[in-house]
Amino acid sequence: MDKQESGIRIIGVLVLIAFFAAALLAYVNKITRDPIARNMKEETKRAVRIVLNTLGEIHYPDDPALKKLNDFEARYFPAVGKDSALVGYAIIVKAPNGFGGDFDLMVGIDSTGKVLDTYVLNHKETPGLGDNMKKEDFKKQFRNRTLENTKWMVKKDGGDIDALTAATITSRAFTSGVKRALLTFKALHKGKQK
Amino acid sequence: MNVKEKLLKSFFVENPVTGLLLGLCPTLATTTSAENGLGMGLATTFVLVSSNVVISLLRNVIPNRVRIPSFIVVIATFVTIVDMGMQATLYDLHKTLGLFIPLIVVNCIILGRAEAFASKNNLWDSFLDGLFMGLGFTFSLFILGSVREILGTGNWLGMALVPGDWSTILVFVLAPGAFLSLGFILVGMNKIARVIEGGK
Repeated sequence: MDKQESGIRIIGVLVLIAFFAAALLAYVNKITRDPIARNMKEETKRAVRIVLNTLGEIHYPDDPALKKLNDFEARYFPAVGKDSALVGYAIIVKAPNGFGGDFDLMVGIDSTGKVLDTYVLNHKETPGLGDNMKKEDFKKQFRNRTLENTKWMVKKDGGDIDALTAATITSRAFTSGVKRALLTFKALHKGKQK
Repeated sequence: MNVKEKLLKSFFVENPVTGLLLGLCPTLATTTSAENGLGMGLATTFVLVSSNVVISLLRNVIPNRVRIPSFIVVIATFVTIVDMGMQATLYDLHKTLGLFIPLIVVNCIILGRAEAFASKNNLWDSFLDGLFMGLGFTFSLFILGSVREILGTGNWLGMALVPGDWSTILVFVLAPGAFLSLGFILVGMNKIARVIEGGK
């Protein structure tokens, strides 16, 4: 195989291979783009139902609205009940500084500012440790808490939240995430009353 | 060599993980559970088979001096296809493995088979080589994932094997557990490989 190969042939083959690769990828991208977008949207919409489950029948828009606060931003779905009165929000925030970086957290909050439920949208926490945050044992302690009646820190830092065993960093991130959602709620609510 | 012998060999003797010790990065990182190991293994198998087939077809077209860049382009294309295909169909599995799918590109098993086998052999043999190597890889990832999941969390493929209030050996889910499990599995697999090779 050691015969001298001309530069033109080398370039030609490489260009051809790259061209076919690009064409194939463009085609696959075209047929998968819609299903991927649909999957993501469906998961988010399913999550809204989960975090606002206790409110019964609700209606909410297809796409979340954006709310900017001083040091972070959040996306939220306002949910209305049967008589079109606002019954709660599903707020998506970034839980900051998890063990594997920030993760997206959805928090359901009713119209009085009580946490209803939480849902982790995507994360890179350690399986078996950090991802136990999705388990009922951890999630249940957040229910019915409000911004005012709770010190939003893990117990190790002097707060009210029981951290997950061996996953304090994840628990901290989760706790700050829920707090962010409550702050977002407060900002949204203030805007409403004015 | 007949097909059955080759299959057996790629599972035990020439297994990419336990025999050749190739591609250990994804092996250690993704095997936190049996399901993740299986998913990663099958994704790699798909890439391995596809790239072997294409590279075998192009083996007389690709100039020798640029064969590595050509192989990488072919491999990267199939990895991207797997990535997008998985996101479109197996969204939940992709959420767990997502980070590691693009890294299949640099998995040396695939480039290794392209260079050592597919670029020198015909289409059918390259296809079989990719398939068997991929299945061997999947097999060892599945075993490693199972060991770590059972010891670390007490579950297997989503089934609880021990009562919930038993404490499990958490370290097996974490990175050090991956090395430990792999070490013991290597011992066992090498023993099996020796028996198959005739007690050498």
